[in-house]
Amino acid sequence: MPGLTSTMLMSVQSLLADQAALQVTSNNIANANTPGYTREVPVLTENTPTVENGITYGAGVTLEKVQSIRDQLLDLRISEETQQQSGAQAQLTALNQVQGLFSDSTQGVGADMTAFFNSLSQLSTNPTSIPQRQAVLTDAQNLATSFNQTSTSLSNIQTSLNLNVSQSVDQINSLTQQIAKLNAQVAQMQQLGQEPGVIQDQETQLVQQLSQLTDVSIIQTKDGQTITTANGSALVVGGQSFALQAAADSTGTEHVFSQGQDITSSIKNGSLGGILQVRDQVLPGVLNQLDTLASQFATAFNTAHESGTDLNGNAGQAFFSSAPGAGAAASFSVVITDPNAIAASSDGSAGSNGNITQMTAVQSQELPSGASPTDSFANIVFNVGNLTQQAQAESDAGTASLNQLNDQWGSVSGVSIDEESTNLITYQRAFEAAARVISTVDELTQTVIGMGASAAG
Amino acid sequence: MRVNPNITPDILTAIWQTQEQENTALQQVSTGRRVNVPSDDPAAAAALVGNLNSSAQTDQYLQNTTSIEGQLQTADSTLSSVVEVLNQAISLGVQGANGTLSASDQQGIAQQVIGIQSQVLQLANTSYQGIYIFAGTATTTPPFVADSSQPSGVAYNGNSNTNTVEVGTGRSITVNMPGDQMFQGSGGDVMNSLQGLITALQSGDTTAIGNATTQLRTAYNFVTQQRVFYGNAVDQLNANQTFLQTEKVNLSSQENDLVGVDLSKAATDLSQAEITHQAALAAAAKVSQNTLLDYLK
Repeated sequence: MPGLTSTMLMSVQSLLADQAALQVTSNNIANANTPGYTREVPVLTENTPTVENGITYGAGVTLEKVQSIRDQLLDLRISEETQQQSGAQAQLTALNQVQGLFSDSTQGVGADMTAFFNSLSQLSTNPTSIPQRQAVLTDAQNLATSFNQTSTSLSNIQTSLNLNVSQSVDQINSLTQQIAKLNAQVAQMQQLGQEPGVIQDQETQLVQQLSQLTDVSIIQTKDGQTITTANGSALVVGGQSFALQAAADSTGTEHVFSQGQDITSSIKNGSLGGILQVRDQVLPGVLNQLDTLASQFATAFNTAHESGTDLNGNAGQAFFSSAPGAGAAASFSVVITDPNAIAASSDGSAGSNGNITQMTAVQSQELPSGASPTDSFANIVFNVGNLTQQAQAESDAGTASLNQLNDQWGSVSGVSIDEESTNLITYQRAFEAAARVISTVDELTQTVIGMGASAAG
Repeated sequence: MRVNPNITPDILTAIWQTQEQENTALQQVSTGRRVNVPSDDPAAAAALVGNLNSSAQTDQYLQNTTSIEGQLQTADSTLSSVVEVLNQAISLGVQGANGTLSASDQQGIAQQVIGIQSQVLQLANTSYQGIYIFAGTATTTPPFVADSSQPSGVAYNGNSNTNTVEVGTGRSITVNMPGDQMFQGSGGDVMNSLQGLITALQSGDTTAIGNATTQLRTAYNFVTQQRVFYGNAVDQLNANQTFLQTEKVNLSSQENDLVGVDLSKAATDLSQAEITHQAALAAAAKVSQNTLLDYLK
């Protein structure tokens, strides 16, 4: 039969439950601005009722557990989007450096090529003038310097991206190690029936950091998260992490290995993916365009130059030198140093300018690549601009999408001060009410004791 | 429905976005350019390469025009002097053919014609900025030298080639007429007829003097005709100059279309971006000032 004592005990349970709930609220408020913190809610359950004489009596409340409110599917979406956005962002950062080399249209390969042909054109008005011949050589040298510098700058960007690879791999390894440790902790706590919410918060944070660095896919298993790279090599399985290795090949290019397998080309996203994409795809493409232009231009111009006769009556020699293939722009140089050696003449006479027309024609004639030298350079500018614009658009889209996902995350897991204030009042009132029950039971008990005293007295 | 209680990131994003818009607008107004890096408009940036090339080329064509104009004018005025002295020689020939002249008078006239011959020789060896302009393309040495072994009394050391200079895309102009064609052409040989006149005057044969004078007149007419070449070339250059200047204007307006900014639009964009940015800041200032706690006493 329900009695004062059991009522008293039930109220004490209420007080304890309300205190615990207040503590959860207090913790939520304390961590309102902690990155990655997911709000917790006290899970209160009714105690098993007692049945007496066919009547069922409620038996009070117990705090069953404190639960973190998270949406694991949303965490996965954020991780995926983070990988894409970081990849695009890393590409954009590198491409902005690349396009800086092609931003000033008043200098560089294009402008110097124009200047070179213009000074040749000027020479045609007075083909025997030594100062004008000297001007042609100076402009040729400027063009060579521009080819060299552009090539060097592109290679330098490539080199600095290459340095980032091993740093990124170190960061990835440090993160996967920490994640594996937390995975083990989560599994252990779950075995013991404990709520691993706080640990999971930390783990989710680390996984998002990992997503900023590289492609990962994440599977939830009973042992925690299994994390693999894009091509399926394991990074974290249960409590164990598998380190990636960075190693340079004979050219100094860093490759990424997972358990002995070269996975460099499969890494597409995350900042490492973006870096590799620019280092291995974009920059070789641009350098190749520049090299092709340099070597085909040198060949075409030399052919024109060699068909003429120089001021000393000798047949024209090669004007430029450029080793075909990779490095053509870097090795582009002017062979001729003597102004007399410019083969302007087409009939052998010193005063003839007939061969200059052949030489200036190279500017607008198609190279084997299918475009004139000027158009070839314009194509490089377009290519670089277009890639940068694409990376910019991808990065912007990724940012917008991440913002939206983070909003969703906040609406599920974020701490609302208003909500916590409401909870605070709710639990405060509940606590007060429970306390009032205790004092009422106390009065009743005294009454009962008084009854005994008066009967005795 | 539960909403994201932490809107700080959203506010920051909005502020950054409006800030970026404002920066872009400000950059466009201050530089006057819509395309500052290739990614602003890759196609326009690529087209700008071609446009700037054409523009610089047009400048060069103008410069070429100026450079060769001097040479053409020098040639033209030289020929004007040649024509003038030839005219004198013809008068002297007519005078020498007059039978009433004494032998010594004829010798005197012959001396004058010899003087004219050497003047014509000098004129034919005129150079402009180190270029012998009537030497064909062998411009480094004087084309005509006195040579008594030749029937014309001179030897031509130049050649019969011409130079052309580009003065526009696909347009070039021939800048010289070789001396052999000008002074010793098939239509009349100045050198030969001067030498003929001198020989005739020295011989005192009035018929021969008359014939030689007629020959000289033919040569005179021929040179006058050939001289038109230079007059035409100068006219062509002038017309071309006007054309190039128009082209320059076209190219720079094309450049502006490609990468320039419509200033009135840019100014409007800027003030709009400023307003949007201020609105974002004002919104940020209003946000989150109050929570439920403010109303719980």
